[in-house]
Amino acid sequence: MHDGSGRIAVQNLTKQFGAVTAVQNLSFTVEPGSVTGFLGPNGAGKTTTLRMVLGLVTPTAGLATINGRPHNQLGNPARVVGAVLENEGFHPKRTARNHLRVYAAAIGVPDQRVEEVLGLVGLTPAADRKAGGFSLGMRQRLALATALLGDPQVLVLDEPANGLDPEGIAWLRTFLRSFAQQGRTVLVSSHLLSEVEQTIDQVVIVSAGMTRYYGPLEQLRNSQRSRVLVQPADANGLVKALQEAGLNEVEPTPDGRVAVAGASVQQIGDLAAKAGIAVYGMQEDKADLEKLFFQLTSPQYGAAAMPYGQQPPPQQPGWGTPPQGYPPQPNPYQSPPQGYPQQGYQQPQQPQQPGQHQSWGGQQ
Amino acid sequence: MGNLIKAEMRKVLTTKSWWALMIPAVLFAFLFALGWGAITNDLNDYLGSSDARQLAGALGVQLGELPVGLLSLAHGVNIGTMFPVIFGVFALAGEYSKKTITTTFLTAPNRVSALTAKMITYIGWGAVYGVVIVAGASLATLLTVDSRGLPSAGQWLAVLGAGVLATILATLFGIGVGAVWNSVVGATVTLTIWMLVVENVLVFVSFGWWGVRWLGGVLPNGTLNGIVGAIGAEAFGAAGVSVPGELDKDFQWLLQYTAGAPGAFSWWAAALIFLAWTMLFFAGGWAANQRRDIT
Repeated sequence: MHDGSGRIAVQNLTKQFGAVTAVQNLSFTVEPGSVTGFLGPNGAGKTTTLRMVLGLVTPTAGLATINGRPHNQLGNPARVVGAVLENEGFHPKRTARNHLRVYAAAIGVPDQRVEEVLGLVGLTPAADRKAGGFSLGMRQRLALATALLGDPQVLVLDEPANGLDPEGIAWLRTFLRSFAQQGRTVLVSSHLLSEVEQTIDQVVIVSAGMTRYYGPLEQLRNSQRSRVLVQPADANGLVKALQEAGLNEVEPTPDGRVAVAGASVQQIGDLAAKAGIAVYGMQEDKADLEKLFFQLTSPQYGAAAMPYGQQPPPQQPGWGTPPQGYPPQPNPYQSPPQGYPQQGYQQPQQPQQPGQHQSWGGQQ
Repeated sequence: MGNLIKAEMRKVLTTKSWWALMIPAVLFAFLFALGWGAITNDLNDYLGSSDARQLAGALGVQLGELPVGLLSLAHGVNIGTMFPVIFGVFALAGEYSKKTITTTFLTAPNRVSALTAKMITYIGWGAVYGVVIVAGASLATLLTVDSRGLPSAGQWLAVLGAGVLATILATLFGIGVGAVWNSVVGATVTLTIWMLVVENVLVFVSFGWWGVRWLGGVLPNGTLNGIVGAIGAEAFGAAGVSVPGELDKDFQWLLQYTAGAPGAFSWWAAALIFLAWTMLFFAGGWAANQRRDIT
């Protein structure tokens, strides 16, 4: 039987659909008591990975376990893991309550549990309506209710925010946090970091079927240092002055400004004044997780440097230091992947206001 | 396993297909038996021809007192078995088309137990179909066939047993075809056309043109029909029993055809051969479902 740890372990998982490699040598672990975000762009292999964890897709190589066991050896699996998947079906002519009663019987929980989960997800008023007439948001709620029937220790959710209104997303966020605080495990996938950033503690970032980063979100955030963009009268003079003061992390930006890392606006201002160099403008460029996420998952990054291709055993969370600071030119943000809004990335052309690029993510 | 069977029962009872298919099953069984019952009386009257006289003599029965009611029963049951086949197709292929198979596999210990529970549940449903179909055909037979042509109580019980066996196998056959093909519409349309038209044409044409008499005794629809139909054919000495005095082979086939079981060797041979067909598709569908990726 399973070990009751609540741990999800993915070890060297590979899946090929014919000639297409959906997932390539993926490894990570998800620990109980936390919400882990499973992030990557569309087509990164997230859904396939989750379905391998749940025993719905057979891996070409590697192993995915929950509580130390593959899904088909969990005994009564719905008591251990509940899943909210995309494309999950409901018989369109079956009512929500009847749908839940079917699976309550399969899991072996009393019918009273059906009423409990209906109340939990707020579907009681719609319980006797046919699932075929449900909105996307209601279907997501019904899927979550189904996942919770067996009162599982582990919850796996694939893009659960799809179709939920802002209120629903906020509710889900609170629910997942409290679920994890009970010492249970939550793995939630998304293609938008901003969507889950406030929910998750741990993060696994995948792109093109491979792990790019996994570890605490805080570590990822801390690794991303802010810098100051300075527009001096004499760039060379300023760089010299900064270097004399021991500030060596200095680089020119494409628009002729100087980017300084590891120093505050005040420090730089003082040094410039001391060196007698006029400064026309200074702007703090704050660390932005969303940017870093793009950087980790963008094709340019994958091709240029791939320090995460070699994967150590998944027992060491927090491996894989994320890239430091900003990559030198060419600026990878000048051509973001199709489909992503571009404002906020053309910083070379026009100075941007702090916070400007924090807003777009929420508008998705 | 009890939990999973309970879940499968709830799945069936919370949608319409079980009664939406059972009503036409009984109705068609009743109407076909009614039609055949109406003409079998004439058949008994006709049985004065030389061939029939020879046959009756060989069997030691009174002319005009053959249990022709078996013919109407058989034809009623034969048309009725179409519906448990379609019901079976819905069992698994329906879950794929509605994507409920994902949750079904997520809430079962493993796929073997999920499929086993489904099989057991549908064996039960197949038996229910068998009882109501035989009941419908029996009612029509009682209404139309003269008392001299009614089968004995033993023969009637045999029809009930064979009918239940046939509908159980028919349901499993439908599950198997649905599981292999994984498409409700494709499997339903193809099976219906095959069983109602294609195979009958094949059997008839190969008999008429090439004198092949056994084809109906080995093909799926022929063997499924033969389970019940051969009981009638056997009662007329046209299958399964050795008749002294060599019945004309072609006449024998025609008698079998009339009984709804052309080419049938015997009821149990038909059952065994149809069981083989069922197992072929069921095992194939089972194997496919053990490996199939649910995406």
